[in-house]
This record gives sequence, C-alpha cells and structure tokens, in this order.
Amino acid sequence: MKNRAWWFLLPALAVMSLSAFIPLMTVINYAQYSVFPGSAPQFIGMENFADVLGDGVFLDSLRRQVLFSIEILLIEIPLGLGLALALPKKGKWVGWSLVLLGIPLLIPWNVVGIIWRVFTRSDLGAVPAIFNWIGYGAYNASLNSGDAWWTVVAMDVWHWTPLVILLCYAGLQAIPEEFYRAAKIDGASAWSTFRYVTLPKLRHSLILAVLLRFMDSFKIYAEPFQLTGGGPGNSTTLLSIYTSRKAIGGFNMGFGAAVSIIYFFLVILISWLLYTIMMNVGGGSSK
Amino acid sequence: MAKIDLKNITHVYKSGGEETRAVNDVNLTLAEGTSNALIGPSGCGKTTLLNIISGLLTPTEGQVLIDGKDVTELPPRDRNIAQVFQFPVVYDSMDVYGNLAFPLRNRGTPEGEIEGRVQEAAELLGLDDRLHENPASFGPEWSQLVSLGRGIIRHDTTALLFDEPMTDVDPGRKLTLRRRISQAQKRLEVTALYVTHDQHEALTFAEKAAVMKDGQIVQYGSPEELYERPVSTFVGNFIGSPGMNFIDCEFAGEDLKAGKFTVPLNETMRNSLDSSWSGVELGVRPNLVDVYDEPEGGGEIPAEVTLTEHLGSYQIITLKVEGIGVEIKAELPLEEKTDIGSEKFIGLTPKNIMLFHNGEAIQNEKK
Ligand SMILES: Nc1ncnc2c1ncn2[C@@H]1O[C@H](COP(=O)(O)OP(=O)(O)OP(=O)(O)O)[C@@H](O)[C@H]1O
Ligand SMILES: [Mg+2]
Repeated sequence: MKNRAWWFLLPALAVMSLSAFIPLMTVINYAQYSVFPGSAPQFIGMENFADVLGDGVFLDSLRRQVLFSIEILLIEIPLGLGLALALPKKGKWVGWSLVLLGIPLLIPWNVVGIIWRVFTRSDLGAVPAIFNWIGYGAYNASLNSGDAWWTVVAMDVWHWTPLVILLCYAGLQAIPEEFYRAAKIDGASAWSTFRYVTLPKLRHSLILAVLLRFMDSFKIYAEPFQLTGGGPGNSTTLLSIYTSRKAIGGFNMGFGAAVSIIYFFLVILISWLLYTIMMNVGGGSSK
Repeated sequence: MAKIDLKNITHVYKSGGEETRAVNDVNLTLAEGTSNALIGPSGCGKTTLLNIISGLLTPTEGQVLIDGKDVTELPPRDRNIAQVFQFPVVYDSMDVYGNLAFPLRNRGTPEGEIEGRVQEAAELLGLDDRLHENPASFGPEWSQLVSLGRGIIRHDTTALLFDEPMTDVDPGRKLTLRRRISQAQKRLEVTALYVTHDQHEALTFAEKAAVMKDGQIVQYGSPEELYERPVSTFVGNFIGSPGMNFIDCEFAGEDLKAGKFTVPLNETMRNSLDSSWSGVELGVRPNLVDVYDEPEGGGEIPAEVTLTEHLGSYQIITLKVEGIGVEIKAELPLEEKTDIGSEKFIGLTPKNIMLFHNGEAIQNEKK
C-alpha cells in the first residue's frame, strides 16, 4: 500500500536515529574493540564483555544496584499508595496537598544534592543532630557505609515518592463511585473493598509507577555521586557510578562501552520482566 | 419478601454551602413481593430515594421500615437489599463465579454452600455456561445479569432495587434482560423497585408505579390508574406516549367553552366545578379523541391535520384547531385516511375527558 503519510514520519525517524540509534550502534561497535586514546583500535570480539562480567567490582555494583532498586520500590510503592489513599478525594484541601507533595519533584537534581549534603554535614547538619539526639551515635555519611547507603535511599524516597502518590491518586480518582456502592451492598469489608475494587482498578497506575521508579532508580547517579562520590569505599557505588568511572575516568573505552551495553540490556530485560509479571497477577480466578 | 415503608423521607444534599432538596417528604409503601416502578424526569430524586432504601444514604429526615422494623440507621449489609446500578458493576479481578460468590464470602458462608447457591443463581439468570469467564469482557446486558446475580445470591435477599439498569444496554438486548429480571423477581418473590425514566419499561415490568416529580411522589398506582386517572396534568402528560392532550377552557353556563367551541359536560362534572374558578383544563387521551370526517351534529370541533405518524399498528395524527392555541394528538387505526391539510371533526364526550384545575385533577365520579 502506498501511503504518503509515511513521509511525515521522516523527521521523527531522523531525530531518533541521531539521538539514539547512531550512538547506540557506535557504542556496540566500540565494545568489540580494544580502544585506548592514542593508539589504533584493535578488534577483539566479545572479550570486553567477558572482562566486564568477570570484574568483581562490576558484579558488586550490580548486586548493590539491584538491592537498591528493590529497597526503594518496597518503600516508595506502598508508601505512595498509602499516602494517596489517605489524601482527601475532594474538597478545598486537594489542590494544596497535591502542590505541597509535588514540591520535591520540581527540585533540580543538583539542588537535591546540595540540600542533602547540608542536611547530613556532620558539623551542622540536621540529620546527624537528630541521630545524636535519639542516641543512635555519631552519624557520618562519609565515614560510615551504612549511613551513606540509607541516606541515598532516603534521598530517593523523599525525591520520588510524590510521583508514586500522584500516579496512584490520579488512578484512584478514576474509579467510579458505583464500584464502592456495589461493594457496600455486597457487604464487603474495608479490606475486601481495597483488595477487590481499589487494587485491581489501580493496577495500571501501579505498573506504571513500578516501571518508572525501577528504570529511574536503576540509573540513579546524582544522589550517591553528590553525597559521597560512591563511597565510603565502594559502598554506594551503584551501577551508573561504576559505568561512568570506567567509561570516562578509565582509559579503556571499549570496556566502558561493553559496560554500557550490558547496563542498557539489563534495564530493558528487568523492565520487561516486571511488566510481564505484573500484567499476569490478579487475573480472574474463582476458587 | 419484605414490605417496605417510607415515612416522611426528606433528603437534602449539602455541598459547598449549597443545599439541594432532592427528596421532599416522601411517603410510600411497597407491599410484600410486589414489583414496582419509580418513574420521573431526570433529576427528580429517584436515585437518591433508591439509595436511601438500600442504606447507601441516610435520609436527612424520616424513616425507612422493612417489615415494620426501623432500619434507617442500618448500613446496607444489614438490610438484605440488593441494588443494581445504572452503570454495570462487575469485579474484573474475579470471574463470574467469584463475582456471584463475593457477597456470600463476605459473610463467611461455607464454600460448600456457596457452590450450590452460585449454581442456582447462575441457572436462573442463564449465566451457568459462563461461570468461569471473566466478566470484564462482557457487554452491558451480561454485566447487569452478573450484578443482579450478586444481588439474589443471598437466600435472605428481601428486596431488589434497580436504578435505570438498561441505560447502557443495546436496544435490541433490552427485551431479554428485562424478561430475565422479571423472571428472577417472580421466582424469588422478592419486593422490587425499578427506577427508569422510560415509562414503557416501567409499565411492562411493574404491577404498580410511583411517579416522582421534584423530590415528591405525585401518584402511586397501577398502570391503568396512572393512565386513566392521572391526579395531575403532570402525570397525564408524563404517562402515555404521546401524553394526554390539554385544552384550557372557560365556563359557559352549564358547559365549557374552548375558544369559540362548546364542550358539553355531564351532571357529575358540573357538580364538581367551582364557579369562583376562572376556568379549567380539559384533558383527553389521544386514543379517546373521537375523529370524524364529517360533523356528526354533536358540536364537533373542526380541525386540520398537520402531521401524521405511523407507529406500527396505529397512527398518531396532530390536529390544529383554529382559534385554540393547542395542537391535539389523536390515535387512529392505520386504515383511516389522514392526509395532511385535510379537515377533520373532533368529538369530546364527557365519558372520555377529565377536568383539571391548576394542574390538579378535579375529583369526580367519572363513568
Ligand atoms: N451527591 C450529590 N450532591 C449534591 N447534589 C446531588 C448529589 N446527588 C444528586 N444531587 C442532586 O439531587 C437531585 C436529585 O438527584 P438524583 O440523582 O436523585 O436524581 P435522579 O432522579 O436519579 O436523576 P437521573 O434520572 O438523572 O438519574 C438533583 O438535582 C441532583 O443534582
Ligand atoms: Mg439517577
């Protein structure tokens, strides 16, 4: 079928190939060479990939990264859903609460770093002061790896839970009142109503929230970088910090390219897995 | 089975400083096991009244009695009343079986008993072949059957409330759904109240219908009563399609005058009139308007045919009477010749007409 409409896709295709396809091909190409500045690239096939997968630091940061994403999903999704449920459905407070909750989303990433660095400074920050006060002992994100880890988690939760709230809240607003009336007539308890009306109707919002938060958290860079640069030690060296260290800081660009490609496919693969699993839970079953 | 009594029910919605009196001092008794309809124009308070009966709303004033017991403050789950909503509700995280079982599971009924009840309800509604399908893919008429199924699944359901259940249903499927609903209601001998603004639907479903207007029930009676003895011009106009014809008349000695034409009255009618009134409205059903080709000598009113509508087995013609500002609709057999522009003569005989004053029917012992 000849259809002139296809021509209109050209600009979009051109932009996409420039911004995504060509760089990706370049990286894939690089990944198969030994590339050091100042010397001619040498084709080495899959060797870079083998090196990456055999690198203990890579595997550590991958493990850390998976743990990090799991942790923030386990915190942000239930917390965001809970807060969305607690928000009033209508009335004059709705607008104000949404604006207040949305504030962290509006803060640029570098400002987030500054805010939290000030918060957590061991001499004058509020966080160490509070920990001291409750008798936790000396909080110090640049010395204590546990402190650094949970601070990065806290930064992400603070920054991105509002997004989950907004997504869930929009989903909740879209559930027709009739479903709740029917549930009342059917004698459903508050839990049953949540389980059989609210949750299934929120499924798509939740899937969206999980995917967005997964992809974003899996690529987290600014928070650990600004807090401690990935330290102390390698304790907050998440995958993107590792990657940038290898690709920019290191000299072996072929190795860096291989890391990027593995990273890229991991994001896609895990997102696909999450999506598939979530689309298949909660279907109709009777007994 | 249950008798439902509404006593002085008033409901006022308050939202943002504004008050809407949706239901205004309603008194109504639905006898045990009867099927009833509630009809009225949009916004007259039908849904509000229904929600008060099922317990979704607590009325601002008044009481709801079920079999004489005051349930006004009870939540829906303690009332044994089922309600089917305007927009079909199915739980799409469960299959049809799960939907039907849901109300029973919520009450902790043992699974063994649930299975029997689900089977029974599914057979009654013709859902037995589809028990393990997901109702998310059902059209509105099947979804409504699932909703109804959840309502009748409990053996102690005493009343069924329907809130315009046909709204989303294809015209072609309405008849089947209505028949199923009717069958279920009769078989279970539950008291039913069916809200609609389609009078045809109401009158075929129900033994008795309540007509509602501006939050009040203006008449409650059998379809024949509503049709033959409307209490007001509103009911006369609302029931019947087309509704009753109304002609403003003045007194002229013993009789009435419509424009320059005389309408004879009988003795009882004359006695029911009050000479202090400035006039009355004469009402006549389209099927009771006598239409002649030639004057019959009984003071027939000449009129011109301005419109004819063929409706299957009969026709409705619109007649314009010179000097009277109204058009009169008449129902005639199809074989009658009714060319547009032709002249006809309208006969209004006392046994066919009703009189109204300020919109209210004048009580007279007609016939
Ligand atoms: N939750 C509410 N808050 C405020 N006013 C309401 C509310 N629900 C209904 N009303 C008002 O109360 C009146 C009666 O509404 P109701 O829904 O009972 O009418 P209805 O007869 O069912 O109408 P329809 O045929 O359109 O369904 C209307 O004027 C409506 O605007
Ligand atoms: Mg309504």
